[in-house]
Amino acid sequence: MAKILIPTPLRQFAGKQDSVTLAGATVGEVLQSLTSQYGELRRHLYNDEGKLRSFVNVYVNDDDIRYLEKEATPLKDGDTVSIVPSIAGGSAGVAAPPVTLSKEEILRYSRHLIMPEVGMEGQLKLKNAKVCLIGTGGLGAPLGMYLAAAGVGRIGLVDFDVVDFTNLQRQVIHGTKDVGRKKLDSAADTMRDINPYVEIDRYEVALTSENALDILKNYDIVVDGTDNFPTRYLVNDACVILRKPNVYGSIFRFEGQATVFAYEGGPCYRCLYPEPPPPGLVPSCAEGGVLGILPGTIGLIQATETVKLILGIGEPLVGRLLLYDALAMRFRELKLRRNPECPVCGDHPTIHELIDYQEFCGIPNQPHEPAPSEGDIDPVEVKAKIDRGEPFVLIDVREPHEYQICRIPQAKLIPLGDLPMRVNELNSADEIVAHCKSGVRSAKAVDFLKQAGFRKVRNMKGGILAWSDKVDPSVPKY
Amino acid sequence: MLQVEKPAWDTMVSHAEKTFPKECCGVMLGSDGLVREVVPLPNVYTGPQEDFFVMDPLDLHRVDVEARKKGLDVLGVFHSHPNCDAYFSKRDLENSCSWFSYVVLSIKDGRFDHANSYRPDFDQKEAPKEELIYG
Repeated sequence: MAKILIPTPLRQFAGKQDSVTLAGATVGEVLQSLTSQYGELRRHLYNDEGKLRSFVNVYVNDDDIRYLEKEATPLKDGDTVSIVPSIAGGSAGVAAPPVTLSKEEILRYSRHLIMPEVGMEGQLKLKNAKVCLIGTGGLGAPLGMYLAAAGVGRIGLVDFDVVDFTNLQRQVIHGTKDVGRKKLDSAADTMRDINPYVEIDRYEVALTSENALDILKNYDIVVDGTDNFPTRYLVNDACVILRKPNVYGSIFRFEGQATVFAYEGGPCYRCLYPEPPPPGLVPSCAEGGVLGILPGTIGLIQATETVKLILGIGEPLVGRLLLYDALAMRFRELKLRRNPECPVCGDHPTIHELIDYQEFCGIPNQPHEPAPSEGDIDPVEVKAKIDRGEPFVLIDVREPHEYQICRIPQAKLIPLGDLPMRVNELNSADEIVAHCKSGVRSAKAVDFLKQAGFRKVRNMKGGILAWSDKVDPSVPKY
Repeated sequence: MLQVEKPAWDTMVSHAEKTFPKECCGVMLGSDGLVREVVPLPNVYTGPQEDFFVMDPLDLHRVDVEARKKGLDVLGVFHSHPNCDAYFSKRDLENSCSWFSYVVLSIKDGRFDHANSYRPDFDQKEAPKEELIYG
């Protein structure tokens, strides 16, 4: 026999007794017996599916049955079973008292308010919404500006970068006057200038497995404006774990993609790309370039989806990958399905917490300067050789359009891709120095030439960027 | 209706003011709708406590056992809303338990401002206000 202590408010349903003694081998059995004897108690303890209500904790003596064998926990004679509710709450997540719009806000949002699809109700949803933008670069710029203008109440910004001149061709949230400032400060100033009613949270950090859940848990929707694979997988997994939609966009040269991941049974990023590409295979915008307007187009598709999710209107871009080709000016759609085998969002997920995404993407954790190989030559030494009139051949393995931006006068242009065809233009008896923009492609050229039997080939360390720094500042950097 | 005797009420208010700007919590004991004793409990929420509280169920269990010994009942729980009104928030509702009265104290800039009492329903859908008499 076990004694069940009846919580005060429930005694009225248990014949006004403060405890009931019942027979049963397990906790489940005595609770069943209690609720069949006192039918009214049942709905206070169990939900319609016959499970204990989420706020009900059961103790046997002083032990929570969740840490024993749950409802199968065995009972001995003389055990005491206590029913204790979980109590929690707080002022956050205000729902009951409707936030209202001030006269100024009504005027500001009037073009929204007169559309029935938005109206006062929708504008209040926007005001109560919390959206986190990962990155305030190409995609983050239009996102931050338009979401602020639309009246999203709270916007989190995650970025640790500083504005530089190469950003200004596309990151329109920053201006020329902002070069050298933190992107967070510059972006927040622009957004506040557009809409002073928006609250902006700034996180000057790189999003990592350690901080991601803590940051993102405060928001309803996460918008991924990052440009690297480790962070994309990190944002994806964090969104799946936190059950928050991940509004995704990516850009490269003239093409972009957008979709909404991790939304109510829809696919996640890993369903589309289970494995990251080998490091270095997919060039970044810094390496491959990007049409400055492209992030505007894709960022605004992300902003549109974000606003639709908040308002709960239209057809969200879920299960569809939108592909945009700016040159052809065409949009296409690929159907995406949730992969039941997906390790994070599948039927039997194997990943339940954030992992090391650098390692997952094959990127060494401590990026180190490659050890200077004997095949390297410093730009200063190259210049000295030229000045001394030493015989050697300088080849530039960049693309012709890069050659048009800047060049070293003595260099002969042989783009890396053409090298196999044009190798006969070089003489293996000559001393050869190869250069490119930063030294990566020319290292490949040096490898290729060595395999082709050339012995006296060296790579100009740091490429033409280092040449500009160390030899000739009049050579523009790009 | 819930009535709170003055000494018990003073304990609640002083606990809420002392815990400001964090949220406080505690249990109200008494019988027949009259709160005669208040037991402040630690807020065990591990995140920011400015807008959330969690009670350790084991604490509540101990208070319940002690109350029974004194012949008192657990009538309800209380918590504070620092720098905002004493409404029943979405989070309050999502975490509510229909067995109790919930007193919410609004503390603004460290001082008691006003309070309300609520009775949430089973399904955590609604929490009608009940009359609260104190002091």
